[in-house]
Amino acid sequence: MLAQHKKNIRVIKELIRLRFQKIMLFRLSFFGPFFVDGSLFAVQLLVFRAVYANVDRIGSWGRGEMILYIGSFSLLNAVSMVICFFGLNSIPYKIKNGDMDLYLTKPVSPLLRFTFEQVNPGSIPLILMSLCIIAYGAATAEHSIKTAQIAAYIFWLAVMEILYFEMEVIIRALTFFFVTDARLSQLEEAGIDLCMKLPGIAFYGIYKVIFYGLLPYGIMATLPVQSLVGEMSLPLACFGLLVLAVFTALTAVLWKTGIRHYNSASS
Amino acid sequence: MNIIEAKNLTKTYRRFLKPEGLRGSIKSLWRREYIQKDAVSSLNLSVAEGELIGLIGPNGAGKTTLTKMFTGIIAPTSGELSVLGYYPNDLKNEFKQQYAVVMGQKSQLFFELTANDTLHLFKEIYGLSESTFRETKDYFTNLFQVRHLMDVQVRTLSLGERMKMELIVALLHNPRILFLDEPTIGLDAIASRQIRTFLRQVNRERGTTILLTSHYMEDIKALCPRCVVINHGKKIYDGSTETLFENYQQNKRISATFPQPPTDLSLPDGAQIIEQTPYKLVFQTPKESVASVLTDLMQHNPADISVEEEEIGALVERIYEENKTV
Repeated sequence: MLAQHKKNIRVIKELIRLRFQKIMLFRLSFFGPFFVDGSLFAVQLLVFRAVYANVDRIGSWGRGEMILYIGSFSLLNAVSMVICFFGLNSIPYKIKNGDMDLYLTKPVSPLLRFTFEQVNPGSIPLILMSLCIIAYGAATAEHSIKTAQIAAYIFWLAVMEILYFEMEVIIRALTFFFVTDARLSQLEEAGIDLCMKLPGIAFYGIYKVIFYGLLPYGIMATLPVQSLVGEMSLPLACFGLLVLAVFTALTAVLWKTGIRHYNSASS
Repeated sequence: MNIIEAKNLTKTYRRFLKPEGLRGSIKSLWRREYIQKDAVSSLNLSVAEGELIGLIGPNGAGKTTLTKMFTGIIAPTSGELSVLGYYPNDLKNEFKQQYAVVMGQKSQLFFELTANDTLHLFKEIYGLSESTFRETKDYFTNLFQVRHLMDVQVRTLSLGERMKMELIVALLHNPRILFLDEPTIGLDAIASRQIRTFLRQVNRERGTTILLTSHYMEDIKALCPRCVVINHGKKIYDGSTETLFENYQQNKRISATFPQPPTDLSLPDGAQIIEQTPYKLVFQTPKESVASVLTDLMQHNPADISVEEEEIGALVERIYEENKTV
């Protein structure tokens, strides 16, 4: 088990090394994403500013908490963009055209390779910018923040990053069973887009069911911020962990069944 | 000792039967018709360790499907299968550590990078020590005579050079079985011959069992003492390659090009012209008459002559005709 983990770490290091070598071959592909991702981030901030220009409060949250929320969601998104988004995004294509064949014949998890083979350093500035926003939000928040709350916040961010990853895998693994993903990736984009602007505490009724349970983007930054500002309750923490457990099991089952279901493509 | 054992192995695919036109498409939204297609049907096969065995058949015969089942890429629909003592579709890492697969139409090399870069990734994937890695890499780069190409971008290599790199990557971890699916596809005669020579050497020196899938008769004839012919997913011949060619091959295909259009060129009885232009002649002739035909052709000062084996389709047809199913 330990040997397998050590081997996986060596494979991850080598995949990252190869990825850097590959993107450094073309200067535009190396420097371009820094500009593109930075511009997209600025656009998101402008949208946020326009939305909240005339809104002072959402529930118990003031402007500072909202800034914390935006920073947290951006951080989750940025970490995914840096590590795994582009690799995972290639899964449907590789399933459809049979490129999955060679991944299945190697003694290392195909999902591990997909996750780390297209890391994107161009999105690293997004992580730094998100951290700046979080620091600014923490400074302007109405709630006082203690060290234990910061530790809880980091814990929940890590939990939600895993959930974010699992959602990406689940949506793309559906290609194992259906030729098309029924444009589910657009649903994912819409969910992320909405939840990047609106915290989970703003959802009620059916919307809460959808964005807390079915497409849990609503809790991804909400729970970490709630833990940071001291609004995390035991039932809410249990719910967050339950959602993670359910989606982890779903991801594992879907991926394993999908691989068994894989029929390759005609050569 | 047999390292591949297949009993009544079957793989069935389900195909959607799309009704014609828009009306049919609308109907199929609610009710769909499927047909079953047996890609491999009740196939029995045993392969002993160290064998170099050829798997031949026309396009769509089920060769690639069989290789994919042996490597665990796809699961059989029914039947028993054991490769190196494992059920391949369990996809156990210990099993995958012991075989390699090279698919002529799919590359495992990083095109923008060098072969050396890909080898470093595979060193980690297979958990090789630095000394084993160096030793094996040196052995194969010398054998394939590609040392000078190891630091060249893969995308700039020729097809033949790329295939040599694919083989080095596949053989890096000293697999017990090497599955080759159409490794010479698209290669010219010289590159194909080199690949065949290397494969023979790897089989002899390293004891690697090689299962070669091809529809090029030259590959099989030159390399494999034993071959299996499959058609429509069924095994129709399993035995000596020499016997197969002796019993079922009747013709050879001859291509000749000329600097000047030849005059008074006569072909023997039974010859069949496949292509004819003023400067080029391609025809099929009974194998017994090849020597005399070549002598005749040489009198017309040809620019180039090649003699090739008959296409697999003709052999398959004859095996059927003589009802010699195994």
